[in-house]
Amino acid sequence: MSRSGALDDNEIQTEMNKMVAFISQEAREKAREIQVKADEEFSIEKAKIVRQESLSIDSQYEKKKKQAEVGWKISQSTAINTSRIKVLRSRNDHLESIFEEANKQVQQLSNGDKYKEAIENLILEVLLKLLAPTITLTHRPKDSDLIKKASSTANKRYKDLSGRDTKIDLDSALPDDGSGGVIGASLNGRIKVDNTLEERIKILEEKMLPELRHDLFGVNENRKFYT
Amino acid sequence: MAANSQGIQTLLEAEKEAAKVVQKARQYRVQKLKDARSEAAKEIEAYRAQKDEDFKKFEKDHTSQTSSSQTSIDSSTNTQLSDLDKAVDKNKDDVIKKIVERVLASDPKLHVNLKKIEA
Repeated sequence: MSRSGALDDNEIQTEMNKMVAFISQEAREKAREIQVKADEEFSIEKAKIVRQESLSIDSQYEKKKKQAEVGWKISQSTAINTSRIKVLRSRNDHLESIFEEANKQVQQLSNGDKYKEAIENLILEVLLKLLAPTITLTHRPKDSDLIKKASSTANKRYKDLSGRDTKIDLDSALPDDGSGGVIGASLNGRIKVDNTLEERIKILEEKMLPELRHDLFGVNENRKFYT
Repeated sequence: MAANSQGIQTLLEAEKEAAKVVQKARQYRVQKLKDARSEAAKEIEAYRAQKDEDFKKFEKDHTSQTSSSQTSIDSSTNTQLSDLDKAVDKNKDDVIKKIVERVLASDPKLHVNLKKIEA
């Protein structure tokens, strides 16, 4: 300040205006800074929120998908199982009706010719199983004559095969409406061999199943082992 | 000095105006942060709706696939059943004959572990 005294009015005004302008400028710059930063933060914050939620949504829908797929697999498997069971049930029904028919025919067997020849063999089987000195043969009353003859022949064959003797007692205790055959007992009835036709077909029904499967339904393609 | 107090007045008013400008910017910032949240929510909703639509399509595609596979399972079952019936009808009589024959079939032999007792 080289002049003495205060500045004149014009100079005061100019300085004033300069200061006002400066204040105003400062404010505007600061405001702009705040705005720019605000826009930046806006973008960052928005992107962050969107990304977080998107990931969470993705994993939710992944889970939904997997559950749905598991459900579909289960119902597919159930459908296949139901189908298999239907086929198996049909096979079982067929077998049952076959056995029913076979049983009916067996009941008539004792009226045929083969019965007379076979009864001797059946008695011999009993003797060879029991291997006892005294045996009681139980039979149907209507077979009495047949059994008497057959058992003495069978006894002779037994001696030829085994070298053993046995005494046979006869008992007509089987019901007449049975299918035939004999039951042998030794040791006072404590050991029994049931060689009636009913018992024989029962055994056959069980033991013949693999063979019947083969004959009726064909070979099992999935089977790997045969004895 | 009247000029002095007037000058100070002017400066004070300039400051006031400046403060208003800055305040406005600060309000802008606050609003922007709220906007970030609400716009993000909108985008997320749109994304979720899209995902949901995709999922529904996924389900629908599979439902049609399931029903066609069910049909094929059913028809295969029926084929198996009818083949079964035919095979049984064909072989039934032979099988029954076989079973009945074996009831009387017999070949009595001495047990393998035994020897005939010679007198």
